[in-house]
Amino acid sequence: MSQPAAKLSVSVPSELAAAVRKRVGARGLSGFVARAMAHELEREGIGTLLKQLQEELGPPSKSEMARARRVWPKR
Amino acid sequence: MAEALILDSEAVNALARPSERRVLAERASAVLRIAHEKRALVRIPAPVLAEVCRGVKYDSAINQLLNNPGVRVSELSRASAQQAGHMLARARLSSSHAIDAFVVATALQFESAVIATGDPDDIRRLAAPFPSVGIFAL
Repeated sequence: MSQPAAKLSVSVPSELAAAVRKRVGARGLSGFVARAMAHELEREGIGTLLKQLQEELGPPSKSEMARARRVWPKR
Repeated sequence: MAEALILDSEAVNALARPSERRVLAERASAVLRIAHEKRALVRIPAPVLAEVCRGVKYDSAINQLLNNPGVRVSELSRASAQQAGHMLARARLSSSHAIDAFVVATALQFESAVIATGDPDDIRRLAAPFPSVGIFAL
């Protein structure tokens, strides 16, 4: 089920690295980074889709945007 | 655990063919924008594909949407399928509503979720016990 892993060497701001290590520990780092990378790619995909929809339809009305905001469950 | 926008069949069809379904697509794009603002994941429960895929000749728009890296299909697990059955029993709905129940069960896999649907009454009935699930009627 699990895919082969690729080893990456990346540079990030040291404060960010420390905050992530504090949150997930050294052993959880790979999983955390993999989830963050996947999430960022997904967000870019949705951004592209939203651009295509806007070109086709124009921007959604303010009333639909307000309705869409209201349905979200309170966290 | 993340937040998610769950796309029911009407939402999938509207996003796949916006020029043919302008009103529904405008509504679907509004809720998609809010999902994007919230950094929510966007998921299509696998059983929904049975409602929107109608043959190789007709599926190209759906496939194009599914090929977007941000729109991912949520596979159905044993636990979710059993939970869907329990929901149907609790709501006194027949198996003809099984896909609706799978949609709600997918929403429950996330900390909180909104279901974009053209069938809000049945989905609302199934999701009534779950405050983590919101409904956006298309």
